[in-house]
Amino acid sequence: MRDISRSINKVDNDEKMSGSAKYTADLRYENMQYAYTLRSNIAKGEIVSIDYPKLPEGYFIVDHSDIPGKNIVKVIYDDMPIFTTGKISYLYEPIALIVGPDKAVLKKLIEEVKVEYKIEEPIFAWEDSVIHYEFSKGEGKLAFDKLQTVDFNYETSYQEQAYIEPQGFVAYMEGEKTTLIGSIQCPYYVKNAVIQALGVREDLVRVIQANVGGAFGGKEEFPSLLACQLAVAVNKVNKPIQLIFEREEDILVTTKRHPAKISFRAAIKAGKIYALSVKAGIDGGATIGLSGVVLSRALIACTGAYTIDNLDVSGDVYRTNTVPNGAFRGFGAPQMFFAIDMFVEHVAKTLGVDPLEFRIKHLAKQNDFTSTMGIFRDPILMPEMIDRALKDSNYKAKHKLYENDGSYRGIGMSLFFHGCGFTGSGEQNIIKAKVRLKKSGDLVEILIAAVDMGQGVKTSFRKLVAHILQIPIERVIFNNPDTDFVPDSGPTVASRTMMIVGGLVARAAKEVKSRFSESEFIVERQYEQPEYIKYDEENFKGDAYPAYSWGVNVVEVEVDKYTYQVKVKKAWSFYDVGKAIDERIVIGQADGGLAQGLAYGYLEVMRHELGYIKQKNFTDYIIPTAMDMPPMETHLYDNPYAFGPYGAKGVGELSLIGGAPAVAKAIENAIGRKVFKIPVTSEYIMELINNGEN
Amino acid sequence: MVEAYVPKNLKAALEMLHEKSLRIVAGGTDMLIQNRNRSGLPINFKSDILYVFDLEELKRIEEDSEFLYIGASCSLESILENKLTPELLKMTILEMASPAIRNTGTLAGNIANASPAGDGIVTLVLEDALLEIQSINHLRREKVQDFIQGVRKINLNSDELITKIIIPKVTFDKAYFKKVGPRLSDAISKVAFAGAIKFEDTIVKDFRICLGAVNIKMVRDSAIEKKYIGKTKKELQGLISQILNDYSPLIKPIDDQRSNKEYRKQVSLNLIQEFIENL
Amino acid sequence: MAKIKFILNNQSQEIDTDLNRRLLDVLRNDFNLTGPKEGCGEGECGACAVLLNGKIVNSCSVPLANVVSKEIMTIEGFSQTKRYEIIKEAFAEMGGVQCGFCTPGMIIATESLLRHNPHPTIEEIKIGLSGNLCRCTGYNLIVKAIQQAAKKGDGLW
Repeated sequence: MRDISRSINKVDNDEKMSGSAKYTADLRYENMQYAYTLRSNIAKGEIVSIDYPKLPEGYFIVDHSDIPGKNIVKVIYDDMPIFTTGKISYLYEPIALIVGPDKAVLKKLIEEVKVEYKIEEPIFAWEDSVIHYEFSKGEGKLAFDKLQTVDFNYETSYQEQAYIEPQGFVAYMEGEKTTLIGSIQCPYYVKNAVIQALGVREDLVRVIQANVGGAFGGKEEFPSLLACQLAVAVNKVNKPIQLIFEREEDILVTTKRHPAKISFRAAIKAGKIYALSVKAGIDGGATIGLSGVVLSRALIACTGAYTIDNLDVSGDVYRTNTVPNGAFRGFGAPQMFFAIDMFVEHVAKTLGVDPLEFRIKHLAKQNDFTSTMGIFRDPILMPEMIDRALKDSNYKAKHKLYENDGSYRGIGMSLFFHGCGFTGSGEQNIIKAKVRLKKSGDLVEILIAAVDMGQGVKTSFRKLVAHILQIPIERVIFNNPDTDFVPDSGPTVASRTMMIVGGLVARAAKEVKSRFSESEFIVERQYEQPEYIKYDEENFKGDAYPAYSWGVNVVEVEVDKYTYQVKVKKAWSFYDVGKAIDERIVIGQADGGLAQGLAYGYLEVMRHELGYIKQKNFTDYIIPTAMDMPPMETHLYDNPYAFGPYGAKGVGELSLIGGAPAVAKAIENAIGRKVFKIPVTSEYIMELINNGEN
Repeated sequence: MVEAYVPKNLKAALEMLHEKSLRIVAGGTDMLIQNRNRSGLPINFKSDILYVFDLEELKRIEEDSEFLYIGASCSLESILENKLTPELLKMTILEMASPAIRNTGTLAGNIANASPAGDGIVTLVLEDALLEIQSINHLRREKVQDFIQGVRKINLNSDELITKIIIPKVTFDKAYFKKVGPRLSDAISKVAFAGAIKFEDTIVKDFRICLGAVNIKMVRDSAIEKKYIGKTKKELQGLISQILNDYSPLIKPIDDQRSNKEYRKQVSLNLIQEFIENL
Repeated sequence: MAKIKFILNNQSQEIDTDLNRRLLDVLRNDFNLTGPKEGCGEGECGACAVLLNGKIVNSCSVPLANVVSKEIMTIEGFSQTKRYEIIKEAFAEMGGVQCGFCTPGMIIATESLLRHNPHPTIEEIKIGLSGNLCRCTGYNLIVKAIQQAAKKGDGLW
């Protein structure tokens, strides 16, 4: 039997290449209306009055007074209104939709709306802590007693998902039923949010995933807001309505990666980091949403790829009057891994010891306790991966040479992991994923809510089932999820899709196989947490994740002496994702994730000024083009995880985590200065060089 | 509704300009973005438009013994591909935008847009390029450097059309363009640098520096350049600090969403230094 | 309003419309073509790319007035050609397609590049793609796909 990792052509190539694949903006309906959003133009205050122009026939305003159910977008921390009732807490907060048949008329109407505000002083400083977490491991604070300490602080910035397809939905009524089709990652998040907004029975809301032109977390929870607004509108107007963002609106109002500030103090004993104190803050923006989970994941990652026995960890989500931040591939881990991987190397430099040896000395091993006193139960292949990385990139010789030859070339290595699946008991207590396989004659249909947003879910799942059933892939069907037909297998997030949902699908497929002679039947499976995974969320104790994927990135750069511009020359990646269900798909994910991680580290600049995002279009928010990205060499390691299909663990986010620390370290090597924040822009490099040895 | 005029030839275009109040659009790559409307709606032009991209008379590239004449409606790509185009200009165009934008963007459009960060403008000013400008009864020439009077301010009357870009033929021993943007392609410059030098034996015969994106207008100063004519290459390289001191007061950049003034200033000076060091 | 004649995907077309419209909107709304897409509306992402007289342009930045008597080819038209088949196979084999939103634009860029330069170096391929943004792939597999297409399609361009 063929090894499942052997690549096949993706099943949706043809329709995507020929332009026939339909994305949300391509869907047309008879009598389709358009919706524009009226938004605040202050960052904080109260609406005193709104003066709408006289509406021509067929044009509607939809606002909070039209919401039949709750005026709250259901996420996790439920503090985001669907439409404000008057209070404004960030610039461009949605006030209402204007709906009608002619865009030119809508544009004119929206320009004529007069809103009077009572302006209040917005808060941009990180002072209002809405969520505070803390935990300790081992001796906690006491471990620092009488020991030498090393302190450093790190900062990370916004990152915009910059999916090439902007957000949007189409909604229409089928009798009493509200149907929404959109560019989404989580059909059931959307459905459940809309049910709450409309206050209707669950069978009166239908959510269908259109083809998704990239998501990266940006379409995880944000679409629920749009869906609720549109659902309320379509119930009022009773005609199909299309709401598609243009790029500037998308950048200005949708969720971004949380900016972070992280401080470390290490206590040194016998040449090792004996204890670590971590203080982290992230900017949640005006509403908290899932920021608490982002903070959790970041804090759990606070020891990086290393084992440190004593920890004193605390973190805060701050509320500010800026656009709410949210999910983005990595979800708190990219921020923390940048900080901790830089810190361990900075500690080594402060102690005057070889950083690489120091890091390897601290590397986590199988059966070590994690930061939350869970256990790394499965083999950790990092030593082997590091050896290969050192050899393939000729790291040691280059690092030494570049340190001394004044050529402004540099090489850096990052070590990292990603906890696969939802943090802690999310799978068990909240999601309770369910999958269904339906056999009809010759065909087997996969019925799950997992969304293919480019990561190849359609191909890898059909391949998985075909492989188990030993039938041609053409006989396995997997359509874009439609909540009328698929059970809730959970959101397409957290690198859980193949490992958790695929694991369930594989088990269901095995049952289908045993009954294959039957013509028509359905097999269902529901998630059962492995017994030994126990996690106390409040105290951050236990196994936060069932499995971990591991990675090593090596990046080589050249910094221009005169312009301080960075050119990434080459990148090597080594990943343990358990088992690749399709090697080429995993390599594609690896390349794309690394590109985003690298750019997070040196290229993508986004700042706000008084709550206004300054880089609000693709001209000013710079993502890499083909000319910016280096040749990438990636090697995958087999290290099967018992509960993943064929041993597969999480893939989607791992490859974004190592790019920023690797490129930051390479730049350090090139310029002979320590880097403390990302993105490492040319301007920052110039500042570091001018300020002298540090 | 905003009218669109698509003249069949240059004469018709000039007549229309004479009779009506029109804004000119060549390729449209700047104008369509600056006058963006919501998706699906017509371009939000503030006045009627004269489209000149397809005027045959403006698509020629010709030369005589003294000058190269580039028609104002030549796309950047067609200029890049023409063997008559000087290397420095080719180097510059290759750094501008992207292949798609180069296929419809024009140098004349770049000039008329008069952005302080216009890459093409930096090189044309270095080359002492002129514009041929026509109206229905009049033809004149003006140096690009004088034509651009400020940010988006040009010396063009309402009935006038740029018809040619005229580049004096001159050979350099070294001509260099460097664009410093936030990434390696398709971006607006933080700093743009053009430098050119010609030696006779080892004596500097012609020395030119032009910087873009670091002041309201392009930074070019012939008085400074003249100071260094007659020096040897070695002397020139020994005078780098003096040269940087000469240029420093002329470099007055701003802070914006792309970069800050300290960076722009220092990098401008670094690029002058790099150019002279590497002669 | 004015009448305009042009060739679209090898068919003569004549429409009566405002010439101050973006080509992208005319293609998507008047001709119901969904291949060219709006990713940014500012000429940066290339998702709207089409061939104008055989060369890549961003249709969001082309006014209809500049299309008079020209030949426009979108991915819908190009996908009927033999060269497309070669490109399609190469992209599939190399894994150059993920979410697919940038893909029609990338294929248009590939055609425009190879028509002009049938045997490009890696550097030349990257320049050819420099106006097409992709957020999913990191570009390496797309570059490899184009190298493959150039090799396999030797003689076609």
